[in-house]
Amino acid sequence: MEGDQETEVYTLVARKPSFDLPTACPNCLPAYIYLKLAKLPFELAFNSTFPDSDELPYFENGTYVAYNNEDGGVIEKLKKDGIVNLDAQLQSLPEYLSLKALIASWLEEALTYEIWVGTEGISTSKIYYSDLPWVISKVLFYKQTYMAKNRLGITKETAEQRETQIYKRAGEAYEALSTRLGEQKFLFEDRPSSLDAFLLSHMLFIIQVLPETSVLRCKLLEHNNLVRYAEKLKAEFLEASSSSPSPPLHSFPSSFTRKGSKPKSKPKVEKTEEEKKFKKRARFFIAAQFLAVVIYLSVMGGGSSDEPEYEDEDD
Amino acid sequence: MQQGIRFIHKNNENAFGGAVKLISPICSSHPPQLHFLMANPAETPESNPSTPKLESEDDREEINGDEEEEEEEYEEEEDDGKPQTREDAIASRIQAESLFRRMRAAPVPVRVHDVIVKGNEKTKDHVIEAEVDVVREATTLQELLKASKVANFNLQALDIFDSVKITIDSGPPELPGTTNVVIHVVESKSPITGQIGTFTKAEARSSSLEGSLKYKNIFGYGDIWDGSLAYGCDHSAEVGLGMYLPRFRGRPTPFTSRVYLSTQDWLKFSSYKERALGLSLGLIASKYHELVYTTAWRNLIDPSQMASTSIRRQLGHNLVSALKYTFKFDKRNSPLRPTKGYSFITTSQIGGIAPDSRTLRFLRQEVDLRYAVPLGFYRAALNFGVSGGITFPWGSGYKSRASYVPERFFLGGNISPVCSLGGPSALWGFKTRGLGPNEPRREVQDEENGGTYERDFVGGDVAVTAFADLSFDFPVKWFRDRGIHGHVFACAGNMAELSENKYRNFSGPKFLETFRSSVGAGIVVPTSLFRMELNYCHILKKQEHDRAKSGLFMTFSTS
Repeated sequence: MEGDQETEVYTLVARKPSFDLPTACPNCLPAYIYLKLAKLPFELAFNSTFPDSDELPYFENGTYVAYNNEDGGVIEKLKKDGIVNLDAQLQSLPEYLSLKALIASWLEEALTYEIWVGTEGISTSKIYYSDLPWVISKVLFYKQTYMAKNRLGITKETAEQRETQIYKRAGEAYEALSTRLGEQKFLFEDRPSSLDAFLLSHMLFIIQVLPETSVLRCKLLEHNNLVRYAEKLKAEFLEASSSSPSPPLHSFPSSFTRKGSKPKSKPKVEKTEEEKKFKKRARFFIAAQFLAVVIYLSVMGGGSSDEPEYEDEDD
Repeated sequence: MQQGIRFIHKNNENAFGGAVKLISPICSSHPPQLHFLMANPAETPESNPSTPKLESEDDREEINGDEEEEEEEYEEEEDDGKPQTREDAIASRIQAESLFRRMRAAPVPVRVHDVIVKGNEKTKDHVIEAEVDVVREATTLQELLKASKVANFNLQALDIFDSVKITIDSGPPELPGTTNVVIHVVESKSPITGQIGTFTKAEARSSSLEGSLKYKNIFGYGDIWDGSLAYGCDHSAEVGLGMYLPRFRGRPTPFTSRVYLSTQDWLKFSSYKERALGLSLGLIASKYHELVYTTAWRNLIDPSQMASTSIRRQLGHNLVSALKYTFKFDKRNSPLRPTKGYSFITTSQIGGIAPDSRTLRFLRQEVDLRYAVPLGFYRAALNFGVSGGITFPWGSGYKSRASYVPERFFLGGNISPVCSLGGPSALWGFKTRGLGPNEPRREVQDEENGGTYERDFVGGDVAVTAFADLSFDFPVKWFRDRGIHGHVFACAGNMAELSENKYRNFSGPKFLETFRSSVGAGIVVPTSLFRMELNYCHILKKQEHDRAKSGLFMTFSTS
């Protein structure tokens, strides 16, 4: 298998795809998009048995591993270790830091709130628990909901107040980002950055995963330029370069699966060639039969009326 | 197990003199007494034997002359301090001898009329009667004696009585040739008992220290509830609550259930920790067969974040729902120092017994064959053993799926192959999880931890081990008295991966070529808790990265 070579095969291990996204987990999608923006060839592998882990996504290359709970996240670690760094010249800009803070705090909080509280976790079963048995998924769902509420500081007393605050901040952030982006292709002129990865992941998740009744989704859809930005980047980086983001052919419960572009295309090509060969041979065979019959008849008797196909016009 | 029939001269009140005392094999501090009383008196013998004796004396003449009514009286008190005249003693002896002569000559027919249970305040009658059903089927006195012995054994085995007395009484006078069996039990006054012991658990592959508290017979069904805490040598810990029922809805074998929470720390060897919360039900538990159903939520984590690729892929939660069947046939004369006999164990396990297809699906089979040949001098014996195991996932895509790491085989450890029955587990000279397929761990930039190993042992899907061990006593009496003996041994073993399409790379010759082996000699010291070996091992063959070294090693095994 390709993955066994430990030289230059990069692998990103993320949670399973769903909702037409290559990985449906909101923590894994930024890393995926970042690698796509950087145009780094990599394979995608899945771990579907650890929904409550903060190690995912992780990036590996042989014995090198970059976990998401170290050094500020996978993307930061990849930048630090020199694997791929899209923010090389941007980090000194003042807007970079403020945008980063905006996306990493307000937008991230809003998304966490919307997934676990706002929509009551309606999408989580497909994102996190599709390969886990019912008992485990139920317990983990309650555990993760509880932890999310803790992280957001939501208690019975503060629930309403926090909700208002979170939505208000999200609305303001979208406003600011929309103004900042304008009609540019990327947030920073014409070069992709890690912030584009975070923002794109955030928006794709909201648009494709969250239900239409989601408040956050409605707020986002008010900004047309942001939606256009998301669609353009998705079309250019996510759909063009990778194979279609469909789930693996066999559902392996709680196991590791690989997805690469090469193995998928090979069987299709072979099949059509075989079919062509078969059709050719069949045609050839029929033609040979026909010729043999004709020759026989012409040699044995010639012009007899026993060939209905041949002498149709006579009758 | 000790049993015997002792004839003791009885006091003169006893018509037939002599007494039979059968010491039940199992036991506790209260040897149960099996009294055979044949008497008209419907009274059962109390702890004071004098009363029945008097009555029986009255009936002596009648009884003596009547062969149909087998009423012989045996009564015995070991610590009887009553004075006995010489004539009475002789008379008793004669009576007893004549009876036994009669018994030896021909079966003495008898029919059990009734089984009477006394002394049980809490325990339900049917629980006791179920254990002594065997006496109802007896048709002769000899059979009845044997059946009573078995019944006594069964009742003692329930572990809820302080003492058990079974008396064979004569039946109602209008029904000749019948007897009543009277069972007198004394229930344990203190229902709570505690114990501490050492065990070797097959799954843990190492010895563990276990403390448990048992609460017996709460509901009167012979139920035993226990809470236990176990700590193993391999940093494993388990806390559990169990329930044992001797009879469950009329089924002949006991029913056990256990809820447990366990952790096993394999960070040093395979970079993962395993946590499990499970329920196991012992459905069948008889002498040869055992069927256990287990369902458990298992979680593999890696707090060190140093795991190799295969282990990383397996981290996460899993639900195991598995049925395990064990057939055990052990005819060796000792589990800790077998010198004669053979044993055969096969264990089959199927996981994924659940309507949900997302539970862990695997098949596992282990086989273990042992043979001990006595050599006749210095209590020497040659022990041979071969064991093998294979595991594989099942279900869609099973060939390319990886087998679950905790269900794989791992060889090596500080237990002795001679004592660890039930599948490939130990090899002298190789450390815990010290051989087999391995992978490099995550690279670390700065070399802080130089002490830890850099490779993970990920286990194999197929494993085979074999050993030969020659044990012998030392010529010095001091060692012989204490059971300290020596042994010379040789062992070999190997593992390979088959899942994840690796079976394509598997070949018999290559498997044989990479067999690990070691030889050695040592001293075995059996203690009350475990069997300890101090060995010098020489590694004959090992592969790269195996954790094995020639030198001195100690092993600890419990039965």
